[in-house]
Amino acid sequence: MFVKLAVLGVVLGCVLVFWRRLSGLVDTAVGLLDNLFERRRTGPLKDAPLAGFLLAPALAVLGVFGVAPLVLAVYLSLFEGKGLNMRFGGLVNYSRALSQEGFWDSFLVTVYYAAGTIPLCLIVSFLVANGLYRLGRGRGLFRTLYFLPYVTSVVAAATVWRVILHPHVGLVNAMLQSWGFSADALPQWLLEPNGAIHLLTGGVVSEDVGPSLALCCVILFDVWHASGFMIVILLAGLTTIPRELEEAATIDGAGPLQRAWHVTLPLISPTVFFLLIVSVIKGFQAFNSFYALTGNGRGPLDTTQNMTVYIFTNLYEYQRLGYGAAAATLLAVAIVILTLLQWRFVGRRVHYE
Amino acid sequence: MIRVPTLGILFCLMVTALGCGGPAGFRPIEPDKVLFWDRQTVENADLLHGIVDQFNAGREGLPVEAQYSGGYSEIYRKVTTSIQARALPAMAVAYQSMTVEYIQAGAVVPLDSFISDPEVGLSSEELDDFFPVVLETNRFSEFGGQMCSFPFCKSVLMLYFNKRVLSEAGIDTAPATWHQFLEQCRQVKSDTGKYAYAIDVDASTFDGMIYSRGGDVIAGTETLFDSPASLDALKLLETLAKEKLGYQIPPGSYDDRDALAQDRIAFLFRSSSHQASVGRLMQGDMARWGIKAIPQADPSDPHTVLYGPNICIFRTTPEQERISWQFVKAFTSPETTVRWSLGTGYLPIRKSAENHPEMKAFWKTWEYNRAAFDCLGFARSEPNVAGWQEVRDLIENAQTAVLTGKRTAEQAAAELKGQADAVLAEAGG
Amino acid sequence: MMRKTLRYALLSLGAVATTFPFVWMICTAFKTYTEAASPTLRLFPDVWQWRNFLETFDAAPFGVYFSNTFLVAGVVTGSAIVTSMMAGYAFARLRFPGRAVVFGMVLATMMIPFEVTLIPNYVLVTRFGWRDTYAALIVPWCANAFSIFLMRQAFLGLPADFFDAAKIDGCGHLRFLLWIAGPLVKPMIVTVGLFAFLGSYNSLVWPLVVTGKDTMRVVQVGLTVFSGAEGVQYNLLMCASTIVILPTVGLYFAAQRHFLEGSLGAGIKG
Repeated sequence: MFVKLAVLGVVLGCVLVFWRRLSGLVDTAVGLLDNLFERRRTGPLKDAPLAGFLLAPALAVLGVFGVAPLVLAVYLSLFEGKGLNMRFGGLVNYSRALSQEGFWDSFLVTVYYAAGTIPLCLIVSFLVANGLYRLGRGRGLFRTLYFLPYVTSVVAAATVWRVILHPHVGLVNAMLQSWGFSADALPQWLLEPNGAIHLLTGGVVSEDVGPSLALCCVILFDVWHASGFMIVILLAGLTTIPRELEEAATIDGAGPLQRAWHVTLPLISPTVFFLLIVSVIKGFQAFNSFYALTGNGRGPLDTTQNMTVYIFTNLYEYQRLGYGAAAATLLAVAIVILTLLQWRFVGRRVHYE
Repeated sequence: MIRVPTLGILFCLMVTALGCGGPAGFRPIEPDKVLFWDRQTVENADLLHGIVDQFNAGREGLPVEAQYSGGYSEIYRKVTTSIQARALPAMAVAYQSMTVEYIQAGAVVPLDSFISDPEVGLSSEELDDFFPVVLETNRFSEFGGQMCSFPFCKSVLMLYFNKRVLSEAGIDTAPATWHQFLEQCRQVKSDTGKYAYAIDVDASTFDGMIYSRGGDVIAGTETLFDSPASLDALKLLETLAKEKLGYQIPPGSYDDRDALAQDRIAFLFRSSSHQASVGRLMQGDMARWGIKAIPQADPSDPHTVLYGPNICIFRTTPEQERISWQFVKAFTSPETTVRWSLGTGYLPIRKSAENHPEMKAFWKTWEYNRAAFDCLGFARSEPNVAGWQEVRDLIENAQTAVLTGKRTAEQAAAELKGQADAVLAEAGG
Repeated sequence: MMRKTLRYALLSLGAVATTFPFVWMICTAFKTYTEAASPTLRLFPDVWQWRNFLETFDAAPFGVYFSNTFLVAGVVTGSAIVTSMMAGYAFARLRFPGRAVVFGMVLATMMIPFEVTLIPNYVLVTRFGWRDTYAALIVPWCANAFSIFLMRQAFLGLPADFFDAAKIDGCGHLRFLLWIAGPLVKPMIVTVGLFAFLGSYNSLVWPLVVTGKDTMRVVQVGLTVFSGAEGVQYNLLMCASTIVILPTVGLYFAAQRHFLEGSLGAGIKG
């Protein structure tokens, strides 16, 4: 294996050393290709051959490993039964899914999760990015520190959180106990199936309303993990805002909050919009954090079972391949609809230059 | 316009590639080796490799290779995915509930023909030497009672107790009945303030609680979760939670063992296979703890649960299937089963192990070393009907519901029965 | 200036909260098992167990795992950059029939969770005979929709007249892409590269399923060795996890100054 790395190193070394020569050769080769395509440039299809050449590698990979499984999954969703007894059932899996309590419960969990993580993450990241942007010294260090959670694998980070939040051995409850809380009344964090709102309001709200405390812990974990990603992108967006606009606002007497709301936010709204779309797509498909934090994904009494966990459980634990594929297709449809809705309604309010 | 045909061609190629290979044919992942997917790590893995090497050395033909492939759920996932790909290992470890899924997919080789084979089979004396329960657990009633797997790492559910914590509460013998168990839990809590029992929510443990009360889990394809035994078990959990005598540990963790070793609790219920690990955690202080049979409703008619995975032989090639059987037979021979047991802490599955000098020497080294072996005589296997994987999750949810106070014992029992019966009905059909 | 101090203070507080789990991770890496598994408020170990590092490398051949991981992640990153640049440019700058449909299909691949496409991909990879080979670890990830999306945004952010000017000088699309447009979107390239590298480096499920031989494992699979039925060896797991994070942190630290200014923001705004 070290031999392989050595070979790779030698190849890279040669490339770097003979860069000038090589780039000359590459330029000639590419130039030839260009001429080849130039000759075809007539009529409405003129760009087509070149586009085909440029798209071929990506489409080959995505077609085989992305699109084809998708189509196969939809095909599989038309079959019901298990193992050797799979038979064609048409849309029966879909009607079963839509009438199953478990399906809608997991959809609700997904919605709670998205509603919890996305706004929180955006707000926190915006505030931090804003703060980092105005920083002079130590910017690089702070940026690295805030990005650290995103760089870590979810599994490693989740193990850490699991131990810190452990009801009996964990740091958080040990601290609470040292502040006087009775050992018998400590919050059970990732093991708590009762609603967080129920616990916070001391029982006023019913325990089945809202996300469970366990789900809230997952939400917190993902905000912690993903905000690094958002901070980096937002920072980039902030660097394109002309300073004069902000200075003008300050001169006009706007305080920091007003500045942020009326000047900064509209100017980076394209970036925020981009992050919103991507977060919804990723948030609806979240899986790793759920699985790593709860051990089986479903959590206490299935209160952290989101759509992806539901699909995963049906596919892999219960071997209901057709049903799982149908649920997955429904999830994909939901994501597409949400993306289109965002494009239509939020996209209008995005301020382009 | 050009792109669409290109993609179309790609897609057709892909479908053809997937379609070829025949509808039901399986082939081995490794044609030159008899591949065995197992989950043993560190020392146990070394011992297993030693046994495999010994087996390979004594014969010609394809060598057996044991490959660490993750935990049980990872192996389950890999095997089910491999079934879809129609390329399987020669053997893998599996629990009964997983084996059922494999059988339903047509991937498993039934072993009866091997057992009765004149050359490589087992004689009736040899068959008698096995504890009946370890063979029964591998017969699947829904598939004609065929033997579809063979015992690998067997263990039984045991009660582990911390003597130091018990003596702090003024108790000098661990409980023998469920009534005593509850009383001792209360005593531990009131005299020492510590929790008595760290609860690992597990379907097998619950089955053990039912069996030890003289009850049963299933009758035909209908579950008995509304029976008095099941209700009593749930009520015990309810009481433990209400009176703060026990707490739940995070699923998939082994925190109860750590808690026992750190003198923070008095009891835990786990398979006997954890004996060696607990001994290590206790740092060799064997006077501080012990294990014994789980509490019973009626100590004169004891029952407990048989734990442990088996080996499943998959359809690959006739040659690999035969060699796999020979390996399995060699692994469960009297000598090897004792060697495996002494090295890993799993139980020997042959009755004749009782007279083996090394076994006897081992039992002399600690007063509780024999306890698990003695339970084999009255261990019962868990159901192995189709859909049981899902029922296990339902059982664990019922236990959690009772422990967190979201359901009373009666509600949980009724709900569990309803849901479990529905699952089994759907799976059977 | 009061505001500046306040800003530093708040950011530092936030940084502490964000990095606290890592502090815990590193401290646990130096503890004994008993220390790591018992309830305590003490962050730092009694005695710093440097030998945990030796034990970690003993438990599994992490040297092999690391070289596999770097090889796979390196090739995946390189090809993700190349394929997404080519495809992103085509979607941004070229006009051809069916462009919207094809782009839609590319985006559609982002809409289905990976766990669902796992089985068909595994079946295919097995049919190709790629189990336990680098091909299985690399090829499916050589292109991904997110990178294409980002590169398209970046190219859209370039003024349209650039190409027209270049064309007058006799430059075709490909040379334009290679020598002019490419360098202009360097920040985005670095971003795409970073995310592709992270995605490959941190992936667990796919390598777990397609490799069986110890010599082909990657570091994330290697970490699972510490969570066996013998228990979770927290201290060694944290030790291994710390070692595993170091390359990615180093990579990010080196790369960050290249991608945060200018064009990246403009690209995303486009």
